[in-house]
Amino acid sequence: MKLTAQDLAAGYQDRAVFTGLDVELPDGAFTVIVGPNACGKSTLLRALARLLPARSGTVLLDGTDLTTLPTREVARRLGVLPQSPLVPEGVTVEDLVGRGRQPHQRWWQQWSAEDTAAVREAMGQAGVAELADRPVDQLSGGQRQRVWIAMALAQRTGTLLLDEPTTFLDLAHQVEVLNLLSRMRDGGRTVVAVLHDLNQAARYADHLVAMRDGTVVAAGPPREVVTADLVRDVFGLDCVVVPCPVSDAPLVLHT
Amino acid sequence: MTTLVRAGRVSFLVRRRAVTVSLVLLALLAVALLFALCLGKPYVAPGDVLRSLSGAGTPYDVVVQRLRLPRAVLAVAVGVLFGVAGALIQSVARNSLASPDIIGITQGAGLAATIALTSGAAAAVIAPSALAGGLLAAAAVLALGARHGLAAKRFVLAGVAVAIALRALTEIVMLTAEPIDGQRAHIWLVGTLAGRGWTETGWLTATLVVLLPVLFWAGWALRTSAFDDDTARGLGTRPVARRVGLAAAGVLLAAMVTAQVGAVDFVALVAPQVARRLVRAERPPLVAAALTGALLVVLADLVGRLLFAPTQLPAGVVTAAIGGPYLLFLLVRRKP
Repeated sequence: MKLTAQDLAAGYQDRAVFTGLDVELPDGAFTVIVGPNACGKSTLLRALARLLPARSGTVLLDGTDLTTLPTREVARRLGVLPQSPLVPEGVTVEDLVGRGRQPHQRWWQQWSAEDTAAVREAMGQAGVAELADRPVDQLSGGQRQRVWIAMALAQRTGTLLLDEPTTFLDLAHQVEVLNLLSRMRDGGRTVVAVLHDLNQAARYADHLVAMRDGTVVAAGPPREVVTADLVRDVFGLDCVVVPCPVSDAPLVLHT
Repeated sequence: MTTLVRAGRVSFLVRRRAVTVSLVLLALLAVALLFALCLGKPYVAPGDVLRSLSGAGTPYDVVVQRLRLPRAVLAVAVGVLFGVAGALIQSVARNSLASPDIIGITQGAGLAATIALTSGAAAAVIAPSALAGGLLAAAAVLALGARHGLAAKRFVLAGVAVAIALRALTEIVMLTAEPIDGQRAHIWLVGTLAGRGWTETGWLTATLVVLLPVLFWAGWALRTSAFDDDTARGLGTRPVARRVGLAAAGVLLAAMVTAQVGAVDFVALVAPQVARRLVRAERPPLVAAALTGALLVVLADLVGRLLFAPTQLPAGVVTAAIGGPYLLFLLVRRKP
């Protein structure tokens, strides 16, 4: 297992979003977390990425308790893309992607040839190399999302967590981002994403985690997990599940 | 766009445009300094200035070396410190209005200096008092604004509130003091380079040298200052600690320079923003902001010295006259 949460509790101020949560995210797989609004999926992702301190319980990265690792060391092994990151005004694509190299730098060694190589590779993989000199705040939503992913790629971490990377994108750009994440998984990375669209989740995920009211209702390969009963249970929606004519993944059609 | 600079184990990136702009500013600064040494009564020809500086011995040695040079060099130091301080504080607050003279540091120094000047304290106590006052005001602003992790807007609002309160207190102290003491305090508050020179320059240079490693760190740490906290944490940084460190360096520079020469207003506000527009960067670049600040103060002091000669206008009045309209321009502009 790449990432494991054991008896995890997290929340905001005096509101506990979940307690006693256990979840295991397999190594080298594309895991998708789904669930209705306010079910705690984003909170879980933030807790897994140590952006939100756990109130109790532990998160293990490769078997090591995250809280025992320096945050810089975590950042060399685990990258995270928050839901809608603030775009710095007037920063070029290449400059922004370069900031993904922070955990590999020191204050006296602020840039290296390896940094240049990592940035070039990341921009190539994310398909933003031709945008290198453009200001990020002038790009379209789809381009911008690929730039953020490129920044996370430049970080060169084995694991990448993404919070709703396809929200606010049109369908073609959603598919583009999901294909990019699949390629990253094919390249050996562990990818974990929170997604809204259950059908996209079922089609792209190797491992699906379904949440409701701060609990994990089901987890496993989409073919085993996605059933009409589960959708009713998790989303409160009546539906039929049929094999997708294109990919053979389970396809949810509400009735 | 950028070039990698490497010396042994030390390496950093520079933007080519920032280098070009800095070189141009440096050339302009050299010209401004020459003007500052030539102009006035008596007028000294540029050739005589250069001969005097090279130690050749001219009839103008006293005017050039004792009267004008110390003051011009001090103007450079004051501008550099204010420029860097403003660039740091504006970057941390992500707000072009956040500068030491807006968020209470100058006013804290002013109140402490006014109390020292009106209570009959020794002259040597005034600068340390002002320094302590500036730092205390900054601590109050940080404490008020940092309750929710130094969120940018709270920080500036807390600073403006503290600045207003301190200014009111200063007025009370000045009005209740002996008129002659109140007058002295008033002159100090405006900020002038007249009658000051190498001693003040020495303090400012020492401050800058001590903080040089911090400023080198800042040039790198500022790369994550425009990110939201989640993104910055994801990159393995501690955003709140970084902001406090960067702000502390800016506050120390601003308090130090205010303690030495008084409130030369608006330099810390204007210089970083002008530099940012020249370099076309997301945040005020440190080196260009320092040079812009230096140019601004040298010119302000020169104008103040010449405009109503033989009456000298304090540099702080001239910078305020430039800064006021600039502040209005920032306020009415579409994007804040």
